[in-house]
Amino acid sequence: MEEKKRTDEFEAGTAPPSRLNNREERRVQKWRKMIGTGGSDWKYYVRRKPNVVKRRIRKGIPDCLRGLVWQLISGSRDLLLMNPGVYEQLVIYETSASELDIIRDISRTFPSHVFFQQRHGPGQRSLYNVLKAYSVYDRDVGYVQGMGFLAGLLLLYMSEEDAFWLLVALLKGAVHAPMEGLYQAGLPLVQQYLFQFEQLVKEHLPKLGRHFDEEMINPSMYASQWFITVFSYSFPFPLALRIWDVFLYEGVKIVFQIGLALLSSCHDNLMKLSFEKLIHALRNFPDEAMNPDSLLPNAFSIKLSKRLIELEKQYNDRNGVSSHKQVKQPRLSRKAS
Amino acid sequence: MANRLDHDYDYLFKIVLIGDSGVGKSNILSRFTRNEFSLDSKSTIGVEFATKTLQVEGKTVKAQIWDTAGQERYRAITSAYYRGAVGAFLVYDITKKQTFENVQRWLRELRDHADSNIVVMLAGNKSDLNHLRVVSTEEAKVMAEKEGLSFLETSALESVNIDKAFHTILKEIFHIVSKKALAAQEAASMSGRRIQGTTINVADSSTNTNKSCCST
Ligand SMILES: Nc1nc2c(ncn2[C@@H]2O[C@H](COP(=O)(O)OP(=O)(O)O)[C@@H](O)[C@H]2O)c(=O)[nH]1
Ligand SMILES: [Mg+2]
Repeated sequence: MEEKKRTDEFEAGTAPPSRLNNREERRVQKWRKMIGTGGSDWKYYVRRKPNVVKRRIRKGIPDCLRGLVWQLISGSRDLLLMNPGVYEQLVIYETSASELDIIRDISRTFPSHVFFQQRHGPGQRSLYNVLKAYSVYDRDVGYVQGMGFLAGLLLLYMSEEDAFWLLVALLKGAVHAPMEGLYQAGLPLVQQYLFQFEQLVKEHLPKLGRHFDEEMINPSMYASQWFITVFSYSFPFPLALRIWDVFLYEGVKIVFQIGLALLSSCHDNLMKLSFEKLIHALRNFPDEAMNPDSLLPNAFSIKLSKRLIELEKQYNDRNGVSSHKQVKQPRLSRKAS
Repeated sequence: MANRLDHDYDYLFKIVLIGDSGVGKSNILSRFTRNEFSLDSKSTIGVEFATKTLQVEGKTVKAQIWDTAGQERYRAITSAYYRGAVGAFLVYDITKKQTFENVQRWLRELRDHADSNIVVMLAGNKSDLNHLRVVSTEEAKVMAEKEGLSFLETSALESVNIDKAFHTILKEIFHIVSKKALAAQEAASMSGRRIQGTTINVADSSTNTNKSCCST
């Protein structure tokens, strides 16, 4: 892993190596033991002690192991092993109808991050390849703005090919429900998530929910990016990474939890604001609110699993969708044609 | 909006910024509202929002501008924002033919989702890149005339015609709105106010009243 990738304008908040004390070293040791060489012990450990794993992930995956662990928990490592040579095929031999769209957005993805800054540099080239490969892998979805931020975040921690398969694992649903609906025509999953989130705000923060209604604020005005890019678009990297640790292991629920925890931590201030100032505040949370060590525990304390399922059903009933997830099977082992 | 009570403007106009991805919408918005331009800004995901208050014919007008993601797929979310918009700022890139050809699709999009009276300003952006131009000023003028749109070429980079374009569209909206207000006033005064002897506004509206009597 190249060190330069991680140095970023947003990284100021993380501990410098000099503060990497004994406790931190012991933590990394524990993690190494849990993973085994190259991930050999991981599955065994997860099966035996799922709650230990969950607890440790919630505390944050050590940065030096993040790339590997992400591949293990997302199921992308298995996809990679099941599909040798496929990525290369997609990148080198296939052409995509989205090539120009992708190029247009390459320099507009994490433009202030050193890894992606250099025009046609290694960062931009990898990003292009991953996005192009995905647009060929699923030609129906192709390339959609927002994907670049997912791929970009992954590329800070793994190779192109690994990042590609992790993207596949997420969108096609290797471990959790597929998320390709975020990018399919009509953005059906974005619409569903926004509906669920709006209801949850009303239920968990009723006063704020009423205030939003009165001010005619709806979640599409501030939360679309949260879901479409899983907080990678505009949130500080140290926070985004901690969210991704949990997101990859536990699923999309954490995005709702973080969203609610953020609103909750700024509740009293938000209550005082009218429409325009509200929109501004909802896009620019104060630094204190975005401290992972307080935000994440608050998020975990919000219990949503059951309600999220009910709200999904309610949304689908309303929109005449009969559990489309069963209809569309993920095509995980599709070979390049 | 709910801040009706403490508003510091006479009119609030909602305007949508539309056009293909990459034509410069977000930079036009940041240039107009904050006088900022960035060669490496992020692509817009979903919608963004900014406001600016300015004087139009002696009235304080607040422009509330919604910037939208340009990619076709995003219209599922962005078209909801056309509702209530009185103006649309439709942008193409003078160095990309396709973005000009797609103007027709954007107009159709407006016809389907926006108010039929919406005022549309066509802007050919990136006029600073004249050496890369592929859309001539002439053909854009012809199209604007045919479609009944105002038209200007702009450069968000060099800050050319950005203010002017917004002023133009806001003025046009203002005229329509004040004509409507006037019509409402006339309707009120015709229908019996005079009989009651009220002379509110008679002094400045009597001449207009005569004019509109003849023209309708
Ligand atoms: N030369 C030039 N470049 C521009 C101008 N306006 C925007 N750009 C660039 O075009 C690219 C896309 O701009 P952006 O505002 O993100 O476009 P949007 O997708 O329509 O919002 C960016 O790299 C901008 O720096 C302009 O007037 N002149
Ligand atoms: Mg934009």
